[in-house]
Amino acid sequence: MAVITLLTVSLIVFTLMEMVPGTCAERYLAFKNTQGSQISIDDIKAEEKRLGLDRPFFVRWGSWVGDVSLKGEFGDSCILRLNINQLLADKFWISLGICLAALILSYLIAIPVGIFSASSNSPATNNSLRFVSYLGLALPNFLLALIIMLASTVIFGDSLTGLFSKEFRDAAWSWARFRDFLSRAWLPIFILGWSATAFALQTVRALMLDEIGKLYVTAASARGVTGAKLLWRYPARHALGPVINSLGFDLNRIFNELPIVALILTLTEAGALLIESLARSNDQQLAGAIIFLLTASIVALNFVTDILLALLDPRVRRGLMG
Amino acid sequence: MTKPLISVKDLTVRFRTEEGLVTAVENVSLDIAPGEVLGLVGESGSGKSVTAKALMRLNAGNTRYADESRITLNLDDQGVEVLALKRDRDMRIVRGGAISMIFQEPMASFAPAITIGDQMVEQLLIHSSMTRVEAKELSIEMLARVGIPEPARRFNQYSFEFSGGMRQRAMIAMALSTRPKLLIADEPTTALDVTIQAQVIALMKDLVAEFGMAILFITHDLGVIAQTADRVAVMYLGRIIETGPVRQVIRDPHHPYTRGLLNALPKLEDLDSELTPVPGDIPSPLDRPSGCVFNTRCPVMFGEPCLAEIPQLMQDETGRMAACHLVARNRGAKT
Repeated sequence: MAVITLLTVSLIVFTLMEMVPGTCAERYLAFKNTQGSQISIDDIKAEEKRLGLDRPFFVRWGSWVGDVSLKGEFGDSCILRLNINQLLADKFWISLGICLAALILSYLIAIPVGIFSASSNSPATNNSLRFVSYLGLALPNFLLALIIMLASTVIFGDSLTGLFSKEFRDAAWSWARFRDFLSRAWLPIFILGWSATAFALQTVRALMLDEIGKLYVTAASARGVTGAKLLWRYPARHALGPVINSLGFDLNRIFNELPIVALILTLTEAGALLIESLARSNDQQLAGAIIFLLTASIVALNFVTDILLALLDPRVRRGLMG
Repeated sequence: MTKPLISVKDLTVRFRTEEGLVTAVENVSLDIAPGEVLGLVGESGSGKSVTAKALMRLNAGNTRYADESRITLNLDDQGVEVLALKRDRDMRIVRGGAISMIFQEPMASFAPAITIGDQMVEQLLIHSSMTRVEAKELSIEMLARVGIPEPARRFNQYSFEFSGGMRQRAMIAMALSTRPKLLIADEPTTALDVTIQAQVIALMKDLVAEFGMAILFITHDLGVIAQTADRVAVMYLGRIIETGPVRQVIRDPHHPYTRGLLNALPKLEDLDSELTPVPGDIPSPLDRPSGCVFNTRCPVMFGEPCLAEIPQLMQDETGRMAACHLVARNRGAKT
């Protein structure tokens, strides 16, 4: 199932890449043109032949998918003429890591707090939680990022931008570099996790309230089940299914917010590359690679959540195993 | 006379809501003897479920019991003041210990992601000193007793793998496994089709005899009550308006509301006769009539006392009770 999804996705991504007006060859030569070199129609033809752009659509799609899936090779970028794999290098994985960390952070907070707030009758607790989570939903990420940057510049004299200190920027991965990364990555993780937590909190709370009102909870309490067991084994466990279901969707949302945050915090290593490749230089090969990687990550995450769901819910499990 | 198993005195239950205090049950008193089947009848909103849940303290967090209300559970070794129980842990004696409950929706009363067996064992471990293995053996035995085929395999299944009648049987097996003294059955057959309904009722009758427990049987179906109960109490808008031995009440209802309920039943011997529903609707509990609670729908309402004065339950020479000014006046005229 996941394989079929990925193939479909690759076809869509590839078609989108193709639908951008002009071919890779034309665009590169046009770019050259702005740099001052003269080009002719023959140059374009020759370039198209060199890139294999004269072949039919499905053949090109097949070779692209083959390269991507078998060799993990995305080919060269249109404009920059660099191998995309080298260009992306760690960047994509760092971005994905930051998004995943934000996702995990948000649910680590939202699940226990949401469950607790749904089971608590105290209006003070509920209202303050609601206030905090509306604040999280209402306050835009970029504003939060700006506020934190301002505060840290004024107080610590460090704007906290970038993902690495100067001395580590181009160094090879090492423990020290990783620690340096962590010491800076917490900020985008926190900012991205901020609104994601508020959102997840609302979801968890609503699902919990729904479950708590169900008859099986009353029935369990009528059998003498009490306290933590009555909360966790019954409603909480049953509310988690839909929560897990929404993980893939949430990752996508966080990834969409990443470029803005990355732009403000000048994280050149992260999602900003996507905006640049799409908007500034019209680099379809690069944009396609990034979109494909992102979708593949979401499909992979959905696969993981399906397994989790099957472990958690016997109805799903029996449905899968027939 | 032996001590009643459970004795409810002046039970008044109010819910605190945004519209203010809503009275759901008012001055209800009833006794259930050991081994007796008491039917509690009434329309939805009459307070029968709230009364039953009060026995197990299952009403929601916004429930207020009146100070003078008493529910006393008389066990062999101790008396329990149910409304005085404070901690959840102490309430276990009335929650699955001496009292068990089965619900109208057998599908919804099992947790969907936990096996039937796990839920049965969990309950036994709470209420007895059994080991897990013993609890499993007893659970399988109980499933077999209520007529579930292949109980050992069924033990490991989930409620969605059971049919409707099977689920209600499993529910009964679970409720009886702790050998309660009182079983509360809240419309246990309403969601089942008629043949299954008859099987479940027959099973319950068998088990009552075998286990010697009392049943509080809640339903709006007087036909079911006639088959199962020894005594019946009819509730209307939070008050008991008539009680007595089930056959006498059905043959000769004293209260106009009970008469109305019986007239509303279809009669197999005379299919052409029109059904006569009780006229009007049950009033909102937010807007309880003063005087007799039934005065807005009563066909024999005769003025002043009905509108001003709450009629009390009056006992006649056979032990039957009805709360109606007209009944009281006629009786007064006779003597």
